[in-house]
Amino acid sequence: MTAAATCSFSHFVVCLPSCSNESSQKPPRYYPAEDAKSSKSTYKVRQNPPKIRKSITPGTVLIILAGRFRGKRVVCLKPLESGLLLVSGPYKINGVPLRRVNPAYVIATSTKVDISKVDAASITDEYFSRSKDDTKEGEEAFFEGAAPKPAVVSDARKEDQKKVDAALLQAVAAVPMLEGYLAAHFTLSSSDKPHKMKF
Amino acid sequence: MAGEKRAPRLHVDGAILGYKRGLRNQHNSVSLIKIKGCDSKEDVDFYLGKKVAFITKAADGAFRVNWGKVCRHHGGNGVVRCRFRRDLPPQSIGGRVRVMLYPSRV
Amino acid sequence: MPFHRYVELGRVVLINYGPEAGKLATIIDIVDQNKCLIDGPESITGVTRQVISYKRLALTDLKVDIQRNARQKSLLKAWTEADTMNKWESSSWAKKLTARKTRAGLSDFDRFKVMVAKKQKTAIIAKKMAELA
Repeated sequence: MTAAATCSFSHFVVCLPSCSNESSQKPPRYYPAEDAKSSKSTYKVRQNPPKIRKSITPGTVLIILAGRFRGKRVVCLKPLESGLLLVSGPYKINGVPLRRVNPAYVIATSTKVDISKVDAASITDEYFSRSKDDTKEGEEAFFEGAAPKPAVVSDARKEDQKKVDAALLQAVAAVPMLEGYLAAHFTLSSSDKPHKMKF
Repeated sequence: MAGEKRAPRLHVDGAILGYKRGLRNQHNSVSLIKIKGCDSKEDVDFYLGKKVAFITKAADGAFRVNWGKVCRHHGGNGVVRCRFRRDLPPQSIGGRVRVMLYPSRV
Repeated sequence: MPFHRYVELGRVVLINYGPEAGKLATIIDIVDQNKCLIDGPESITGVTRQVISYKRLALTDLKVDIQRNARQKSLLKAWTEADTMNKWESSSWAKKLTARKTRAGLSDFDRFKVMVAKKQKTAIIAKKMAELA
């Protein structure tokens, strides 16, 4: 039995020396008026990296199933911390820029592109977050009754796109017919049965 | 042939067969859907969890969607049970439904 | 029109249904009007000796010279001497089956390549037709 404050039997006023292992310890001179509750050990919430299905790896060609770019085939660059996937067309091939995509809305094909030379390490979830200024401007615009502002792509984005795509396009060009494949849309035709198709 | 680019089809058509029912009682909250090309219980596994869209046109010309999802198989021949946000109307029996390819597990 | 493929000893048979579907076997003995005893030979086709209904079989053109209830060894000998497996695989029936299998196993990229190849083929044919017309 140790000091009364942290002892679970702190409601006993006296620590019986005969029970304690450390018989040399003196009983404390001070006891708190009320039982001090021992603080629980706080659990550190460990955020595990998001689980993404095995078929999606960096370099996999994905088919986007919904959203603005539905039907496009696109190269997966890396999974982001939020669980979304970072994806690029490449922009020159099919018009899909550096974008985040939800893995639930994507079919992973078995085609892989070698993206070992592509550097997308600097692009994270914060890269895509909306700046605070924009939201304030939005409120004012609402009150003024202004038309919705057209999306302006910042030069920084364009630069990053070019940088990432430069290496990506080389990797794509190395595989015959891959460029045409990425430029084409995925579509189901009348005899296609998706449950029988292998991607 | 080469001219117009049509929007890609990213869904599978399904037919609304009716509601889950016994002979004399029907349960409107669950609809039975026949997915085109899906003919056995093994085929249904791909479609489990997929979103289903029942699309109607409103009087003002706008399209309205009643979303649902594929819940489970129904019998052994590829028919599927679906639940929708709002139960499907009885007039829709025999009508068309779109089974989307997402959420994808491929 | 006369029949050419008979259910008889030694008739090579394609199994259509069941766990051995898609494999070849030989009729070794006849049980009755509905079923017969078949055997691979197991080392060539993977089908063990079993009784099977005719409804699950498709008769092929190939036949092998064996006695009733031939043992594995003599059956294997008859197959290798007649080179039956190669004869089967060079038949158009077998080629169609493998083509169907390949088509089912194509990836999305492969399907794209096939589409491009078909388009090129049509273009060549159309061009030639235009020349002849």
